Amino acid sequence: MTGSRHSGNLTEQQEKNEEYKRKRELRNLTIIVICAVVLAAVVFVCANIGYIKFSIPDIFRIFTGGGTNRENLVVFEFRMPRIIVSILAGAALALSGCILQGVVRNDLADPGLLGINAGAGLLVILYVMFFGTQSFLSVFTLPFLALIGAGVATAAVYALAFKRGEGVAPMRLILTGVAIQAGIAALTTVLVVKLDDDQFDFVARWQAGSIWGSSWDYVIALLPWLLILVPYVMSKFRVLDVLNLGDSVAGSLGASVEKERRGLLAAAAGLAASAVAIGGNISFVGLIAPHLGRRLVGPRHLVLLPTCALLGAVLVSVADTIARVIVEPSEIPTGIVVAIVGAPYFLYLLMRNKH
Amino acid sequence: MSIPHGKITAIIGPNGCGKSTVLKAVGRLLKPRGGMVYLNGNDIQNLSTREIAQKMAILPQSPQSPPGLTVGELVTYGRFPHQHGFGKLKPDDKKIIMWALEVTKLTEFENTAVDNLSGGQRQRVWIAMALAQQTELILLDEPTTYLDLAYQLEVLELLHGLNREQMCTIVMVLHDLNLAARFADHMIAIRDGDVICHGPPEQVMTENVLRTTFRIDAKIITEPHTGRPACISYDLIKENN
Repeated sequence: MTGSRHSGNLTEQQEKNEEYKRKRELRNLTIIVICAVVLAAVVFVCANIGYIKFSIPDIFRIFTGGGTNRENLVVFEFRMPRIIVSILAGAALALSGCILQGVVRNDLADPGLLGINAGAGLLVILYVMFFGTQSFLSVFTLPFLALIGAGVATAAVYALAFKRGEGVAPMRLILTGVAIQAGIAALTTVLVVKLDDDQFDFVARWQAGSIWGSSWDYVIALLPWLLILVPYVMSKFRVLDVLNLGDSVAGSLGASVEKERRGLLAAAAGLAASAVAIGGNISFVGLIAPHLGRRLVGPRHLVLLPTCALLGAVLVSVADTIARVIVEPSEIPTGIVVAIVGAPYFLYLLMRNKH
Repeated sequence: MSIPHGKITAIIGPNGCGKSTVLKAVGRLLKPRGGMVYLNGNDIQNLSTREIAQKMAILPQSPQSPPGLTVGELVTYGRFPHQHGFGKLKPDDKKIIMWALEVTKLTEFENTAVDNLSGGQRQRVWIAMALAQQTELILLDEPTTYLDLAYQLEVLELLHGLNREQMCTIVMVLHDLNLAARFADHMIAIRDGDVICHGPPEQVMTENVLRTTFRIDAKIITEPHTGRPACISYDLIKENN
């Protein structure tokens, strides 16, 4: 076998390389820590922003358990669940986008590609059509239905893109995803026309991406998904790295390409679907967070995944707070804020890459 | 047909004749519809993907690296079949990566992004990744495609050196007949999925074999520098002759 004939001592160049790598690792770690600190600050600030204002010492007092009943109610029952839901949904969508872009090797992939939004949206509309917006069941049934819709759409995309002997080629997956998305969107439009004003308003809000799940119940509904899927995805960081090199190279390196891809796609679908079910159509985060992340820490998934999750969490929680207060006392859907903030930045990235 | 151990084997043949398919079947990236591939006497269909990856490395034609990935990181991915779980790189892995960078003369580029390198350097990075895999067999699909003449030689000289010094068995698909005859110890000529001829270059680079394989009329001489056969000119076969 090709024996390693390396001597124990490093050359000057190798020392320099090692030093450089150490520095970069430190830099990446710093970026992750900064993201985490920013996230913590966002929680703090967002808890403070809203119709009822607190001073900074007040907020400290409330967080350390010294608040009055009324203050506790506002912070812990109204604001915190919503902040946490938006953090979880943002992290889940960003991770989902990061996985997808790696698996299909296309930077323009986002969770919508798997038909997640379209499938969830269709079932939400069907539900609203048959049961109306006032049904008391909707708090729990709606996310569940959205989840089923997303799951069915993803399964359909995968099944249609699958070809015996070859598995799912990334390009075919993308094209199938686009087709399914367009098909469901058409069907959705047909149904929307038949809705009455109340129903239409509700559906339009959902589709624009509005975090309406703002009680601890939703946090509890979202958390288990993340607790199961995030460790699974993180444990696959090396597989994601080699899948990024293309099917042949990944196969040559000993990854079971199709099996791993199926697992990762399912995880991406689960993450995005659970987030979309509660947060509505905010999947734009899944497109831009991975771009931002790669720019900050490069393409290695060991650091990219946590960075993306944190960025997604920051993006959605900030966007949701803006959405909550910008037209007080009414609010605009979070998805729209994400798009308003995200789209120009995204265009800027694309323009920069041209040079 | 068998591939000699410790030698350089070149597969030649016209476009679409199945060269790459043969390579992929050998590397188990494709499942052969008929026939078997044995590696040291074991049917490769019975080995796990990881076991195969520890025994052979396959480089497809013009592989693409994700933007921003550095040379060192890509070469590190070559350790994938030897790594488990979350574990960090072991000292042994690091040594192997440094060695792979050294023999491919890439040490100074370790922290450069792969997309900033020239075509020839980039091909060397992929070869370094295959080396980091520490396999006894390396399969390459047209490693010189899209490269300038000097880069082609650079890559083939590197492979030749690896074969002679590190005892790697190398199998590659090559388009250029003269380069194939110059660097290979063993050649396989394929047409329409059938092996027309295999053996040392002197037996494969003949006017007869090239006529059946490529449908050309070739003039073969022995190149005085290398002592290997070379094709100095060729023509389409005239139908009436």
